[in-house]
Amino acid sequence: MTGATIQAKNGVNGAVSAVLKSLKDSGCVDAVLVPTRVKSGETFVYLLIRNPKMLDSCAPLPPVMPVQGARALQSLTRHGKVEQTVLCVMRPCEVRASIELAKRRQVDLENVLFMSLDCPGALRTRDYVNDPEALDKRYQGILNNWEGDGLRPTCETCVHFSCEDVPVDLHVGLVGTKEEEAVIIGVSKRGEELLDKAGIECSEDVSAWQVEVEKARDKKAGNRSKVVSELKDKAAGMDNLGLLFADCINCHNCMRVCPICYCRQCFFDSSDQVRLRAEDYFAKAQARGGIRFPGDMMQFHLGRIYHMGLSCVGCGACEDGCPMDVPVSQVFAFAGDEVQKTFDYVPGRSTDEPIPTLTYEEDELHEYEDA
Amino acid sequence: MADKFEPNIVGFLCNWCSYAAADLAGSNKLEVPATLTTIRVMCSSRVDPVMLLSAYLRGADGVLVAGCHPGDCHYQTGNYLARRRFALMHKILETFGLDSNRFRLSWISASEGKRFSEVTNEFAEHITKLGPNPLRKMPFIE
Ligand code: SF4
Ligand code: SF4
Ligand code: FES
Repeated sequence: MTGATIQAKNGVNGAVSAVLKSLKDSGCVDAVLVPTRVKSGETFVYLLIRNPKMLDSCAPLPPVMPVQGARALQSLTRHGKVEQTVLCVMRPCEVRASIELAKRRQVDLENVLFMSLDCPGALRTRDYVNDPEALDKRYQGILNNWEGDGLRPTCETCVHFSCEDVPVDLHVGLVGTKEEEAVIIGVSKRGEELLDKAGIECSEDVSAWQVEVEKARDKKAGNRSKVVSELKDKAAGMDNLGLLFADCINCHNCMRVCPICYCRQCFFDSSDQVRLRAEDYFAKAQARGGIRFPGDMMQFHLGRIYHMGLSCVGCGACEDGCPMDVPVSQVFAFAGDEVQKTFDYVPGRSTDEPIPTLTYEEDELHEYEDA
Repeated sequence: MADKFEPNIVGFLCNWCSYAAADLAGSNKLEVPATLTTIRVMCSSRVDPVMLLSAYLRGADGVLVAGCHPGDCHYQTGNYLARRRFALMHKILETFGLDSNRFRLSWISASEGKRFSEVTNEFAEHITKLGPNPLRKMPFIE
């Protein structure tokens, strides 16, 4: 793999926005979809940018992820493919979610290019809006040292923070690069061509960066197995599972912000499917002594794990959006790992890998049936 | 014998085979557990495993899905997909240490009335050994 060093004296965002500008100027990219700080300064949204001047103020790697990028791309391609070339600048988990959505025909990838960056994780959005300045500073520290306090727990255990198993066209390497420097890499053939047309010569060896990525990945993998083994106990049995979700108020925010949950009418929101009649509730209360309202909480969470656990990319949007600090994405990551292993599936790795529930082998899974 | 535990079993039966097998079992006067509640579906793949989960969370002691033998699905591939989905739900239940052994997937063709009777009775025995679904007594879960 080869790449080019880019100067990051004005931070990563400045460096990447300069690259974006030359890509735009070269004419091979018509528009850029990239996170940008809102006017109040307190948060970030995705902006579809056509005017190159506006790229000056974009924030390719914001400290928070209030909007999952796959959702932005989904809105853009809702009616089918885009006619002009769009470069989407996203965190790796956002790219992976976009791939999962494409497999579910909710995103059209034609004329869409992806650029991702090594992601150290994101801070909690709620913390950020309270004190953007302090958290900007903190995030700068995290970018320099590749560790620090306040990252969302899911991010601490993310092993897909770089471009391996993430089908991007361009990638910006940050782990272990010299301060005030980053590397840009054309990962796909299209990505290489883009850089070539933009006059960015990619001839440097980037193996030093690759070694650092491996090291960082080992560390995150270690965190992950620790958290998973803790969760194995904490989430074992209905009593414990009930405790994990005990604070849930059934607002279904976690589902609404999840990039994978695309259904316009969620099964768990359709009241005649899941709600019972009063007399049935009375009968249940009779049998159990009493029943919980809001109800159907466990059905919602376990049901959602069934519906999209295979595709969960561990982006943490659900947990970030939860008003009650329920560890939703940690539980999803734990269960997701297990089911993904069963079907040897890595969500978001490639559009060529079918979603396991939409395909089959004739001779398989006999341990689950009685013949 | 008022207190004898009779397991509540919910069975999702494919219209083209297992449901017909249940019918056949009936006309041949073969025994089927009295507490089996059957739900007719047009194919085993019509069953979103969330329905199985619902039955379990709402207190069913056992949940059965029965469809045509592999290769014999009226819609060609439905039961292969149903098997994947069932396996996925099973895996999730296992992961959380929940009662995955209260769930069963069987293939019973339209001509197998006897098999229908055997499978359901055997499953009922198995569930009787497990005892009632503990969730029936948990006020904060559902
Ligand atoms: S369940 Fe949570 S972590 Fe998984 S993809 Fe959805 S929002 Fe992201
Ligand atoms: S966002 Fe939190 S409180 Fe709301 S439904 Fe999800 S887990 Fe429950
Ligand atoms: S029609 Fe019976 S399983 Fe598909």
